[in-house]
Amino acid sequence: MNASPELKKQIKQMLVENLMLQLTAEEIRDDQPLFGPDGIGLDSVDALQLVVALEKNYGLKIPDPEMARGVLKDVNSIAQAVALNPPK
Amino acid sequence: MSQRIILITGANGALGRALTQTFLAGSPDDVIWLGVHHRRDHADALAAAHPGRCRVVPLDVTDAGDWKAAVAEILAAHSRLDVLVNNAGTHDDALLAQMKSESWTGVRSVNLDGVFHGCQAVMPAMISQRGGRIINIASLSALLPPAGQTNYAAAKAGVLALTSSLAKEVARMGITVNAVCPGYVDTEALAGMDAVARQRAVSQIPMRRFGRPEEVAEAVRFLACAQAGYITGSALKIDGGIF
Repeated sequence: MNASPELKKQIKQMLVENLMLQLTAEEIRDDQPLFGPDGIGLDSVDALQLVVALEKNYGLKIPDPEMARGVLKDVNSIAQAVALNPPK
Repeated sequence: MSQRIILITGANGALGRALTQTFLAGSPDDVIWLGVHHRRDHADALAAAHPGRCRVVPLDVTDAGDWKAAVAEILAAHSRLDVLVNNAGTHDDALLAQMKSESWTGVRSVNLDGVFHGCQAVMPAMISQRGGRIINIASLSALLPPAGQTNYAAAKAGVLALTSSLAKEVARMGITVNAVCPGYVDTEALAGMDAVARQRAVSQIPMRRFGRPEEVAEAVRFLACAQAGYITGSALKIDGGIF
């Protein structure tokens, strides 16, 4: 399932607001890594906040670090996980 | 927001009662949840005396499932949890050479593991609300470990390390994590001391008296207040000047 551009936009906005990033939602590419040297500079504490925000906003539970590594790769992977996990 | 939701563990003991009374007196709006395990008579009396402001919740701090249930109950009632005071504690002093392994594990389990479980249980709510206060009741024994308390001193020193590390993890989320280190305070912990031991202890204290639970509680109340928002990762000694 392909996530909609609108959902990706919402996720970028959530990243900027929740993590108080010093960049705008428009500056984040869909496939830009969130972590690592080529990424937007998130760290493990940001990941923790992100996990809580995704559960709160989309009901997406990320119970273990392995799943977190897969889901929190970039905006595309987050949007994909959210789209596959419709609100109950 | 004027109303704060506060959870105090070990609320049936002398320090737990003093904490509750101090928070009650400090703000007319705060709601205080009293975590109790083995005994609950004093906590029930406080809840009866302050209906709507004090509520009792069963909570064995060593049990992650108990924490989950207690926090879920609080969030179901208020949708938030602003302050956690990890106050539950126990001691079982013995020289290490004679200490039973159950004594080591039991003291560590309540005093250190309990703090871990508590912090973990409240973290999603505090992260989600982007704010919270955690105050851990450590001990002067963490800083000046006496003989006969390897279990207790090590557990409390662990609480200080946990406090400092967690404070760094959650600072940017508006959550502060601090510890207080009471010295000799007149609670059940000192009830077993005979007159000679008490006199010897008092003679080591520059103020020449034991602390009162209310004096510890006031420090905790301050660390929980909005004005203490820039204090995190600290360990405040409350000891009559022993150091």
